[in-house]
Amino acid sequence: MAKHGADELSCRSGSLDGEGRASEDRSLLRQRLAVQELIDTEVSYLHMLQLCASDIRSRLQQLPQGDLDVLFSNIDDIIKVNSRFLHDLQETASKKEEQVRLVGNLFLEFQEELEQVYKVYCASYDQALLLVDTYRKEPELQRHIQGIIEAVVPQAGSSGLSFLLVIPLQRITRYPLLLQKILENTVPDASAYPVLQRAVSALQDVNTNINEYKMRKEVASKYTKVEQLTLRERLARINTHTLSKKTTRLSQLLKQEAGLIPRTEDKEFDDLEERFQWVSLCVTELKNNVAAYLDNLQTFLCFRPHEYSLDIPEGPAVQYCNLARDLQLEAFLTFKQRLEGLVWQPLCSLAKALLGPQNLIKKRLDKLLDFERLEEKLLEVGSVTYQEEAARHTYQALNSLLVAELPQFNQLVVQWLGQILRTFVTLQRDLAKQVLQRAEGSMAQLPHHHVPEPAFRKLVEDALGRTSNQLRSFQETFEKVLPPPTTQPLLPGSERQAQALLSRYGPGKLYQATSNISGTGTLDLTLPRGQIVALLQNKDTKGNSSRWLVDTGGHRGYVPAGKLQLYHVVPSAEELRRQVGLNKDPRCLTPEPSPAPAPSIPTVNQVIAVYPFVARSSHEVSLQAGQPVTILEAQDKKGNPEWSLVEVNGQRGYVPSGFLARAQSPVLWGWNLPS
Amino acid sequence: MSWIPFKIGQPKKQIVPKTVERDFEREYGKLQQLEEQTRKLQKDMKKSTDADLAMSKSAVKISLDLLSNPLCEQDQDLLSMVTALDTAMKRMDAFNQEKVNQIQKTVIEPLKKFGSVFPSLNMAVKRREQALQDYRRLQAKVEKYEEKEKTGPVLAKLHQAREELRPVREDFEAKNRQLLEEMPRFYGSRLDYFQPSFESLIRAQVVYYSEMHKIFGDLTQQLDQPGHSDEQRERENEAKLSELRALSIVADD
Repeated sequence: MAKHGADELSCRSGSLDGEGRASEDRSLLRQRLAVQELIDTEVSYLHMLQLCASDIRSRLQQLPQGDLDVLFSNIDDIIKVNSRFLHDLQETASKKEEQVRLVGNLFLEFQEELEQVYKVYCASYDQALLLVDTYRKEPELQRHIQGIIEAVVPQAGSSGLSFLLVIPLQRITRYPLLLQKILENTVPDASAYPVLQRAVSALQDVNTNINEYKMRKEVASKYTKVEQLTLRERLARINTHTLSKKTTRLSQLLKQEAGLIPRTEDKEFDDLEERFQWVSLCVTELKNNVAAYLDNLQTFLCFRPHEYSLDIPEGPAVQYCNLARDLQLEAFLTFKQRLEGLVWQPLCSLAKALLGPQNLIKKRLDKLLDFERLEEKLLEVGSVTYQEEAARHTYQALNSLLVAELPQFNQLVVQWLGQILRTFVTLQRDLAKQVLQRAEGSMAQLPHHHVPEPAFRKLVEDALGRTSNQLRSFQETFEKVLPPPTTQPLLPGSERQAQALLSRYGPGKLYQATSNISGTGTLDLTLPRGQIVALLQNKDTKGNSSRWLVDTGGHRGYVPAGKLQLYHVVPSAEELRRQVGLNKDPRCLTPEPSPAPAPSIPTVNQVIAVYPFVARSSHEVSLQAGQPVTILEAQDKKGNPEWSLVEVNGQRGYVPSGFLARAQSPVLWGWNLPS
Repeated sequence: MSWIPFKIGQPKKQIVPKTVERDFEREYGKLQQLEEQTRKLQKDMKKSTDADLAMSKSAVKISLDLLSNPLCEQDQDLLSMVTALDTAMKRMDAFNQEKVNQIQKTVIEPLKKFGSVFPSLNMAVKRREQALQDYRRLQAKVEKYEEKEKTGPVLAKLHQAREELRPVREDFEAKNRQLLEEMPRFYGSRLDYFQPSFESLIRAQVVYYSEMHKIFGDLTQQLDQPGHSDEQRERENEAKLSELRALSIVADD
């Protein structure tokens, strides 16, 4: 095609005369040629791209998709952009005079898109190359790839894939050169000239930006990785190189601290960093606080007081149990889940996102120290080594990267935090709404639901006061259940003493000491536990009713009343007395015998003598313990129930009633007690 | 056969009829269960209210820490939002404290009081048991003498034993009767006793959550875009995360 155009032009130029015009014509010709070259190369470029993207890529199906993505990157986007570009470019061909200007304008139009689409491709080109290298190491795979490429693009030669993949890079860097060529052959006062100029610088900018972008990406990916190194790995990393780096940086820092060398003040960066630190703090604190909140919520949900219903089958207790259970299963569970998904998860993501910038900022500071030292060296020496130049450049790249992206980062994080907080508020409201609905439902079924709150509180207070009194009365009732009476063993010889006392005072007056009594005063008695005494007076001379005057049979004195227990005496004697219904003075010592004991016995009771009794007069009769007797009369002639007329062993006489007892079980007659 | 060693302690005949014993066991058993439940309920209620208070406190801390961050000074919108949040949290904490106090007064205290009767009850039951043991022992003693040859001293001892037995038996029967009467009454008293507590508990929830609904409802109106579903919110979060990840300074993983 190019030849065709050239033929036309040479015919035309032949018709013009004059040297000036000739050179002008030559320029014009060259210009036209340059423009044509642009278009033609664009055509073949696009054609090659399409071959790569469709034919070659589709035949490389045995490679994993991830590899293909790395190799070919966003070649499809490039094809789209360049197709449109070519189309518009070809349209300019119809507008002869305007063409150059239109071409310039076209480049300016497409500047942004070209930058966007090529920078991505260029940034991943290195990785693609690495991948190609690994393929080269596998001969089988390499042969296969070569075969495919040779079939489709014979001119690729032995370099194969790398030849193909570099094409877009070559193209984008060529645009400025192509434009430059057109510009050179354009008359400065042509209308197209300024446009072309701008186009040239625009495409140069595009290339610069693409490089910058690529470098930032490299630097970022090198330093953002938060490496999880073990201590051993970290130690292994230390070698002379890293040590010297670190010591140099440290000395630089120290020099700065000491004021020996000026610190590079970068207010803009410092402000940015400060803001970043606040943002970090905000995220970290919020995350920790929400974690604590969730923990407490979890604890709250694991207690289930509603499971202990106290066996109350109906009423508010049941209402409460149902309410609490439902709330835990629904309202609170939903709340917890939503909180975890919509508040906690985002906060975790945010916290993770902080790590990259934090690392970069640290690295930047390290590199800054290197940079400053190198600046010094540059001033002193005038030049730096290649590596030092690279180090300077790294710092600058890091710095510019952070300055470019931190503001946006900070803003995004703050916006997101705001969103999270708003969500938190809404979740609280939703929880309250759910709980309230359910709780109001329960409340409507309560007996006092119509009573307003203050009045209800008073009601409850009163009710509780009443019932606590009731409880107290229960408690007292239970406390009244006393320990069982301890039956005191009778001391040796006390049986006789007990009888003596009994006969003198009667059964109702006998008491037994429940514990050892030690008398303190002159009139106080000292008694062992179990001692039987008879009560004389149940208060002392001063009227103190806790001090009783008692008779031990031998001595009289005072003992504390609390240590005495009523001595259980034969109740049947009491029964007998009750039956008789008389309550005369028991201090009668001798019976009044009736002149003629008539056998006026209403009942023949089977009675035995409990204690031995020695008759002291002819009216009395002796008893032996256990002896069966027959009661003839339950009182003496004077009606004194203390004495009973009995017949024993064929003899009759009076005996103390208290010495008798009813037989509980059949008694053998005719036994003899040893006396 | 006086040379056969006679074990004193277990009477031969059943002195307490089986039905009586069974009734007693049943009533006492119910009360023992009630004691356990009362104790557990009290403990759990206390722990639950403690956790509730802790939750409220950590909510207050959220807004407090936010407020103290220098970011708020610079950003007016953020400041107004965090201030509003802080006010809301503090008010809710106050209401929560009130709720817990009410629960303490009307539920936990009464539970404690109810529980304090049980030691007396248990002591009373122990004493009845003691009386029963004494009764048994003395009954056995009487039976022992009853089986012996009826000599004079034996008869005397028998009589004495019977005299000792009588008061003890009566004491036991009195205790038994008293407890059999009082225990069901006490058990039944729980119905009337606790209903006010549970009513109060439900009402306290209603009061608190009404306030919470109002306060956070107002706050939501003020701050949030209402009506967003959870899926929408999730998508918003995803979008924000992608925006962040698009930055080179953010590590991709």
